[in-house]
Amino acid sequence: MDTQCGDASIRVLIADDDEHILECYREAFGESEATDYLQTLNALDEELFDTVSDSESAPAFEVVACSQGNDAIDLAEKATNDGNPFDVVILDVRMPPGIDGVEAGSQIRKMDPDVEIVFVTGFSDVPRDELERRVPPPMKLHYFNKPISFMQLAEDVAGMVRAG
Amino acid sequence: MTITLLVVVTALALLSFVTLQKVVAPAFDKLELDHARTDLVRAQRAIQNDLDNLSAITGDWGLWDDAYDYVTGEYPYFEESNLVRPTLSNLDLNLLAVYDADASIVWGRVEHADAILGIESLQVLDPGTETAEYLITHTELDAHTDGLIGTALGPMLISSWPVTRSDGTGPIAGTMIMGQLLDQDRRDSLRQRTEVQLSWQTIDTDTIVEPYFAVSLNMPGSSSIRHETTTNTINSTGLLVDLFNEPLVILQVASARNISALGKSTVNGALLFLAVAGVIVAVVAGFLLRRLIVLPLEGLANHITGIRKSGDLSQRLNESRNDEIGSLARQFDKLTMEVHDARMQLLDQSFKAGKADAAAEVMHNIRNAMTPLVNGLDRLAKNFTATTTLRVVQATDELGDPDCAEDRREKLVTYVQSAFAHVQATNEDAVENLAIATKQAHQVEAILADQAKHARVKPILEDFDLGKLIEEAALVIPKSDDTNIDLLMEPELNNFRVRGHRVGVLQVLGNVMLNAFESIERTDETCGNIAVSATNETIEDKQLIRLTIKDNGCGFDDAVRKEIFRRGFSSKDGHMSGLGLHWCANALATMDGGIQAESSGPGLGAEIHVLLPAA
Repeated sequence: MDTQCGDASIRVLIADDDEHILECYREAFGESEATDYLQTLNALDEELFDTVSDSESAPAFEVVACSQGNDAIDLAEKATNDGNPFDVVILDVRMPPGIDGVEAGSQIRKMDPDVEIVFVTGFSDVPRDELERRVPPPMKLHYFNKPISFMQLAEDVAGMVRAG
Repeated sequence: MTITLLVVVTALALLSFVTLQKVVAPAFDKLELDHARTDLVRAQRAIQNDLDNLSAITGDWGLWDDAYDYVTGEYPYFEESNLVRPTLSNLDLNLLAVYDADASIVWGRVEHADAILGIESLQVLDPGTETAEYLITHTELDAHTDGLIGTALGPMLISSWPVTRSDGTGPIAGTMIMGQLLDQDRRDSLRQRTEVQLSWQTIDTDTIVEPYFAVSLNMPGSSSIRHETTTNTINSTGLLVDLFNEPLVILQVASARNISALGKSTVNGALLFLAVAGVIVAVVAGFLLRRLIVLPLEGLANHITGIRKSGDLSQRLNESRNDEIGSLARQFDKLTMEVHDARMQLLDQSFKAGKADAAAEVMHNIRNAMTPLVNGLDRLAKNFTATTTLRVVQATDELGDPDCAEDRREKLVTYVQSAFAHVQATNEDAVENLAIATKQAHQVEAILADQAKHARVKPILEDFDLGKLIEEAALVIPKSDDTNIDLLMEPELNNFRVRGHRVGVLQVLGNVMLNAFESIERTDETCGNIAVSATNETIEDKQLIRLTIKDNGCGFDDAVRKEIFRRGFSSKDGHMSGLGLHWCANALATMDGGIQAESSGPGLGAEIHVLLPAA
C-alpha cells in the first residue's frame, strides 16, 4: 500500500488486486510526477502568452492504494481512528484470495457511515439490490463496470465529494 | 418364492401326516379297545344272566308246595310227575338234585353229552365235602347260593335254594340244587346270543393267574381286563371266580380289528386326499403367485434393470392394477418421474451455471485486461491533445523578429526547448502506453485462447424422448394478448427418441419456437400456428430424426436464407435476441446433427428442420 499527502485534498482509498489497474488509478488521480520542463513550460506559457493553466482548478487527491479487501478495512479503520477518514473508498468486487469487495465495503460502511463507496468491477456475482442492502445507503453507493476511464472516474469522485 | 411355497406345502403335509398318525389313528385304536372291552363285558353279563335265570328256576322249584311235600315224603308222586328225563333238557339243566332237611340226597341226576350220570360224577356234592356243605345247608328261609363251581365235568353255573312252602314259609324241608355246565353247547349258545367270539379256559394247577386278574364274575372292571393285540384281532381276557372267590375260569373274547382297519383306511384316505389337495393347492397357489405377484415383481425388476442400464428415467410401467403391486408400480413411476424431472432441472441448472460461471470469469478477466488499455489510450489522447496547445510556431515567429527583446528571446528559446522536451516525453509515454495496450491485447487474446480449449469439449450425450422435449421447449412461447398461437404437435412425436445434449437441444428448439412466434407476431395477424412433426431419415448410413417446425409467419426470401445462419444475422429489424440460429447450427453440429431453413417467400411462413441422431 502507498500514500500521497496534500493540502485540502480529497482522500481516496483504492483496493484492486490488479497492479496495472492500480497504476492507472494513480495516474488518473494525479499522482504522476510533473517534470521540470513541464513546470517550466506551463510557467513560460502563462508568462509569454498570457494563458491560464487549468492545473489550479483541478482537484487534488490523496490516494491510498492496496490490493486486498482486508487491507482496505484496516486502512479505513486506522484513518477513522486517527480522525482523518477517507472521503471515498473505491473497491474492486473480486479480489482473490481474500474477502471480496462487497464484504470489505460492508465492514467499512459500519465504521464510517459518511464515506462514499464506489464499486468498480469487471463482473459482480452480487445483484445491485443486494449491494444496496449490504452497503447502505444507496445515495452513498456507486457502481461502475470496467473498462472505465479513470480520468472520468476522478472527475466523478470529485463531484461526489462536492455534492456530499 | 417357489422354494418358500414348497417349504410351506411340505410343512403342512407333515403336520397333517403327524396329526392323522398321532391323533386320529390312536383315537380309532382306543375306540377299538373300548369295543373289545365291551365285548368281554357283554360275554360276562350273558353268563351272569344265565346264572340269574338258573337261580330263578331253582327258587321257583324250591318255593313249591309239591316239592316241599315230596321232600317231606308226603307227595311221592312228585317224582313221577316232575322228575322225569325231559325235565332237565326242557329246563336246559345238567344238574338237578333234591336234598332233605338232613342233607341226604332225595333225588339227583346229572345229564351231560346225552348221558345220564350220578351226582357223584361231579365230584363236588359228595357228602362231607366243603362244597356240599356250603350248597346243601340253608339256615334262612330266603337264603340261597348262586355261583360258579368247578366240577369233574367242567365249570358249572349252580344255584341252591331251600325247599319251603309256596308262600315262603317253613320250616325248611330241604334243598333244591340246579346246575348248568359251561360246555361247548353253552359256549355256542352264548356266542349266538351275544354275537361275541367268546371262549374260556378252566384254571387248573398249571395255569398261572396274575394277581390283578382276580375279580368276581358280576364285577367286571376295566383294570381286570387284559388285551392282547394281533394283526387281525384283539384278544380280551377276564377272570371268573367260584363260590369261594377262587379263580376258576379265564373268559376270552376275540374282537376283530374292524375299527382300527376302518381308522387306518380313513387315515390313509385322508392322507391321500390331503396329498392330492396339497398338490392342487400348491399348483394353483404357485400359478396365482406367479401370475399375481412374481411376474409383476419380475416386470418391476426388469424395469429397474432397464432404467439402470439405459439411464432413461422417462420410462414408465403404467401399471393399471388396483392391488398393492399396482400401487407399488405407480409409486415407483412417480418416484422415477420426480428423479427424472430433478435430473433434468439439475442438468439444465448445471449447464446454465457452467455457462454463467464461464461468462462471469471471461467478463471479469477481459474487462480487467481492457482497463489499462482504455486508460492508456485515454492518457495518450490527453497528452497528444496537450501538445496541440503548444505555441511553438508563435514562439519561433517571435524569435525571428529582430525587434524581440533579449530577455523575452531567452524565455522563448527556453519555451521552445521545453516544448520539444514535452513532445519527446509525450512520444516516449505514447510508446510506453502502446506497449501496455499491446500487452493487454495479448492478454485478451490469451483469455480467448483459454476459452477456445473449453469450447472444444464435447457435450455429454444422452437418449431422450423428442415429444416431451418439444413440450418443454414450447413453454418459451410467450402468452400474448395480441397473438394467439396454436401449437400443433403430431401424436407420433412421442414415438421418437433421439441422442444428443438434452439441454443444448432444448435451447435450440426453444430458440426456433421463439423465432416462429416472433415471425407470426410480425405479420400483425391475431392468430397463427406452429406445427411440429418428425420423420425417420437416413443420411450417409446415419439414422437421423428430422424434426420439422413449420410456422405461418412472415417467412423470408432467398437473400435472407443465405444469411440466416451467419453470426450476428437477424431478420428482426436489426434487433437481436436469444441465441441465434448461428449458435443453434454450431450446437447441433457438435451432436452430429444439423439445421436447415426453408421458406416459399415473404409472407408465406417458414420451415426449420432440425436433424438429430436417432437413439
